[in-house]
Amino acid sequence: MRRGILRSKWVVLATAAMLVIALGALGCAKKEEAPKEEAPKEPIVIGGIFDTTGPTSDVGKDYAVAAVDAAEYINANGGVNGRPIEIIANDYAYKPDKAVELYKTYVDQGIFLIQGWGTGDTNALKELVNRDQTVYMSASYDSGLNDPTKTPYNFYVGTSYGDAIRGAMQYVKEVGGKKVVFIYPDHPYGKNPIPAGKAMAEELGLEVGPDQFVALNATDAVSQLTNMKKFNPDWAWIGGTTASTAVIIKDAAKLGLDTKFLINVWGFDENLPKLAGEAANERAYGMAPFTFYGVDVPGMKPILEMHQAKHPDDNHLVRYTQAWVSMMVMWDALKRAETLDGPGVRAALEQVTDFDTGGLTAAPITFTGTDHRPNTTLFIYKVDSTGKQVPVKEVTLERRAEWLGQ
Amino acid sequence: MSLQQSGIFHETYKEDMAIFQTPFIKFWMAAFMVLLILFPWINKPLNALVNTNTLYLMNLIGIYIIGAHGLNILTGFTGQISLGHGAFMGVGAYASAILTVKVGIPFWFALPLAGLITALVGMVFGIPSLRLKGLYLAIATMAAQFIIGYAMRNWSTLTGGSTGIVVSSPSFFGISLGDDRSYYYLVYTLVIATTLYTKNLTRTRPGRAFVAIRDRYLAAEVIGVNVWLYRILSFGISSFLVGIAGSLWAHYVLVVNDEAFGIWLSVQYLAMIIIGGMGSVLGGIYGAVFMTLLPILLRIPEHALTQIYPGVFAIFQSMTEGVFGLIIILFLIFEPDGLAARWHTIKNYWKLWPFSY
Repeated sequence: MRRGILRSKWVVLATAAMLVIALGALGCAKKEEAPKEEAPKEPIVIGGIFDTTGPTSDVGKDYAVAAVDAAEYINANGGVNGRPIEIIANDYAYKPDKAVELYKTYVDQGIFLIQGWGTGDTNALKELVNRDQTVYMSASYDSGLNDPTKTPYNFYVGTSYGDAIRGAMQYVKEVGGKKVVFIYPDHPYGKNPIPAGKAMAEELGLEVGPDQFVALNATDAVSQLTNMKKFNPDWAWIGGTTASTAVIIKDAAKLGLDTKFLINVWGFDENLPKLAGEAANERAYGMAPFTFYGVDVPGMKPILEMHQAKHPDDNHLVRYTQAWVSMMVMWDALKRAETLDGPGVRAALEQVTDFDTGGLTAAPITFTGTDHRPNTTLFIYKVDSTGKQVPVKEVTLERRAEWLGQ
Repeated sequence: MSLQQSGIFHETYKEDMAIFQTPFIKFWMAAFMVLLILFPWINKPLNALVNTNTLYLMNLIGIYIIGAHGLNILTGFTGQISLGHGAFMGVGAYASAILTVKVGIPFWFALPLAGLITALVGMVFGIPSLRLKGLYLAIATMAAQFIIGYAMRNWSTLTGGSTGIVVSSPSFFGISLGDDRSYYYLVYTLVIATTLYTKNLTRTRPGRAFVAIRDRYLAAEVIGVNVWLYRILSFGISSFLVGIAGSLWAHYVLVVNDEAFGIWLSVQYLAMIIIGGMGSVLGGIYGAVFMTLLPILLRIPEHALTQIYPGVFAIFQSMTEGVFGLIIILFLIFEPDGLAARWHTIKNYWKLWPFSY
């Protein structure tokens, strides 16, 4: 009996081993085939860490789609000196540990260039990025990531949150506002720019009221706005995303507040008037480093062509432009990089001077070895009385040295 | 399948108490250990197969196993539900970061200290367990999650606010433990140590007291178990282990910020021990492995589909999340006692195969 059992055990083990080998062989075979058909030269692979299913997927999906489309556009236009690029679009559902896992996987596969997403995870990865010398282009425009002495491998193409909030304060001063309040979620994206905004308000002599917290997934903001009403500010900053911004604006209209709102980049896009309805009219102002989707500027032409060719029925947001610009700047650097590795691409990115986005950003993009702020100019858009989003003004800030990394 | 004599005859208490009782088990455990030790050197082909960095996954699993053991001691053995273990892990991470960066203590001292600090915090938040049970305690510990989370975000002078604290990799007699491979050995040394500790704890006086409290706290009190003391002790030991896990996570990822330690992590820990098997040491291990690997394995078909239909990758990614949830529900329906119980059933089946009765 013992022998019988022994034999059967070996049968099971052998079957299992064969299965594993067969699966392995299949996997290897597939791996080798795929790139050969596609292109004669080996592609430059870029790791994507996007949120397409998590709490910020309402804006993240469009961003990821644009990054993939942009890669296709780059390949159709000669690639990187003849070599195609390939972007792996992976979802991390806004979970930091999943972002680390994706990042470690990419580095293990020899990838030195990453298109990333949120403030929390980009910050969580900054030390690893620095150590592995991986160029990390994020969709988070956190000011803490633009000082090359601290984060030499982090880049982004949108005006930093710190500069956005300063620009907002400058605008308030220009239009004669006197009292401001900051509304934001208790979250890195919301909180990080607040000290910069308060310092700027103080510098300009604006009176600052008590802060109000509204979570990213809030469904009402009545109590916060009632608190705010006591102070009755002329202007309020909103540092949330589109969904929570719409909630705040609708409740402000319900309470009959005269306060107008200046909204950070991730809270103001084409969906805001849809979500907030008429409440947004003449009340919502957006700090916009990027031109909205479909606006007639030269840089928008390839985007619209891509859209026509690939998914003519989809609606896109300004997020599409954001990812597109990030990919274009990256393309420019890749073409000029002396060595195709992290330090090489970083050096090339730091030589980007007055990069013309064809009107997709408020100002050309410049990186230097001592300053990773892409530019310090933003558009201010507003929702007008007919519910359309129109540009109002362009604000430009000084590129002060002490604001670097703040 | 277990090639043992018909019946095991113990002649001493020592034999009776041994964890690995037969030569067969000892052999396979030794083989498993060899595999564990060799793993970092043979994982390359596996990386390509599952399209991820398996060494990172192993490290993450190791860290989660330590934390899951912690929660299992509290929830599985003592019967106290905690929804605050994500935050406790954060306490360990922050404590170790603050100790190494701001105080300047070497990692090797900061690691146990972080555990002790977390144990203290855990014991404080465990005090309500004197009066609260079941769902009420779950809510009370959830308060810990929010209070600690708030402190992490807003006590900026200590925690660096939402930017967090940057820490450095530990080194061992001059050898940097910064890369995945060397960190693997650090993590798994601690995994083995904590697993043995947890296994042995259940066989000691406090361990039996924990189980007595779980099964019927009134009866436990009547037979002389100091219910309050052991409940707090359970919170302490449990938090200590989670604190160690947090410290390991901090020095692996090198940045500590509050985002990683939200309520989701607490829920994930609970899911791990429920799926793995509550009140079983193996359960914590199976649960951690399952919860970490399943999303990765689900990504393989998703990846394949994305290659075929590149335009609609977002749809497959959302589907993965749905399938993940579905698998967990099915597991709870068909194997409510967890993977450890399923493993037991399988083992017993093969023991007498093909002559089972």
